[in-house]
Amino acid sequence: MIWCFDFIILLMLVTCAFAAIWSKGLLSAGMILSAYSFLMALLWTEMGAVDVAFTEAAVGAGVSTVFMIAVVYHTRRFIQPRRYGRMFFKLMGLLATLILGGLSLYAASDFPSWADPSEPASLHVAPYYIENTIRDTAVPNVVTSVLADYRGFDTMFETTVILTAGLVAHAVLRRLGRRRDPNRKTNDGRPVEAHTSIVVQRIARIMVPFIQLYALYVVAHGHHSPGGGFQGGVILGASFILVGLAYNIQTVLARFSEPLGVLLANTGVLLYAGIGVACMVLGANFLDYGILSRVLPGTSPVMARSHAMLGVEIGVAIAVSAIMVSIYINTASKGYHDQGL
Amino acid sequence: METLIAKYNYWIYTLLMMVGLYAMLAKNNLVKKVIGMSIFQTAIIIFYVSIGAKEGATIPILMHSHEETVRTVEYVNPLPHVLMLTAIVVSVATLGVALSIALRIHQEYGTLEEEEILDQIQGL
Repeated sequence: MIWCFDFIILLMLVTCAFAAIWSKGLLSAGMILSAYSFLMALLWTEMGAVDVAFTEAAVGAGVSTVFMIAVVYHTRRFIQPRRYGRMFFKLMGLLATLILGGLSLYAASDFPSWADPSEPASLHVAPYYIENTIRDTAVPNVVTSVLADYRGFDTMFETTVILTAGLVAHAVLRRLGRRRDPNRKTNDGRPVEAHTSIVVQRIARIMVPFIQLYALYVVAHGHHSPGGGFQGGVILGASFILVGLAYNIQTVLARFSEPLGVLLANTGVLLYAGIGVACMVLGANFLDYGILSRVLPGTSPVMARSHAMLGVEIGVAIAVSAIMVSIYINTASKGYHDQGL
Repeated sequence: METLIAKYNYWIYTLLMMVGLYAMLAKNNLVKKVIGMSIFQTAIIIFYVSIGAKEGATIPILMHSHEETVRTVEYVNPLPHVLMLTAIVVSVATLGVALSIALRIHQEYGTLEEEEILDQIQGL
């Protein structure tokens, strides 16, 4: 913990938050939010939460900014001025915010001070995870072992939530058939020409294989270093999003078609649940991986847990990457899947 | 007063949370509301992550030492990290859903301003 470093980043965070809320341009608000997420990732790294920071850098600063830009691109660049004042609503909102903030600050005086090793949250069940993860699962990254094994139920249903969100975005936006105005027009009536930059395309072409290799490394090496299924899945999805940004939606769909995306998203969740069911079939509890040593050749129950966690992470990565690509294609093409940003 | 300054981190988390909540309640533009939701979520997440921090501890990846007993005070509390890691990925999923709905509303009403949408619904 470095006091002045934390303080400066926290101040910059607050500045970014205010700027994102009060800027008139929606595109700039999205970009400021991206900077906000990146600062947040920096702060979390400094607090020792490397896995969380990794996720935020991939998700908050990367993919969600692209979604935001896609929506701003298809709607309006600037907020419209109010036609008539709604001071009453603003004041009520401010009042509710102030009441909630005041109550939170009142409660904050009872919280333990920052980075106190003897605070209640660090005393109850967390020491068990740190002390026993090597003995139980042979996985040194405690975050991975808690995520995929000790609290595997949580993670399975989080993955289901993401699957549901992807399906909802698909159901809300997807339009079959052709767009009524296939040639988009700018505000002064001229058709938009597709801007393809040879530099961007070449760079993307070179980078994409490395990004995908790195994504696979992040998934496979999550047991020993920061990373895992969620981060690797988002990076894998981001590589396809990069293709979509540099080329167009058709290029992505040729490699990652719509039925394939839906199939992969479901396969990922099914792989996770299937490993759980396999444990039940062998006579243990749901997601109790130790029993899998009976079917995995040459493994002790401890190593069986480690291997099953890798399987679960792969399932998560498949599902998350498919959902990210699906949400991008739907928001970038307004559901028509014909042309993107 | 000293306790208040010692706990300045909670002040800043609360401030971030208030910014997000105000944007969700009082902003007129739907994209601004979504941005507010994002800020609100990160404020909650940073609160959890900072609960897991420990003075003088390192990241929760154990050194390779199978024989020695692991000392808990040397590692940051991993539990809040796990809970928040999944929360971040869920937050991008909810962001995707919120933005999809905003895009759909724009297709239907041609605007993202809340009061204009309300006017159109009421037939004004």
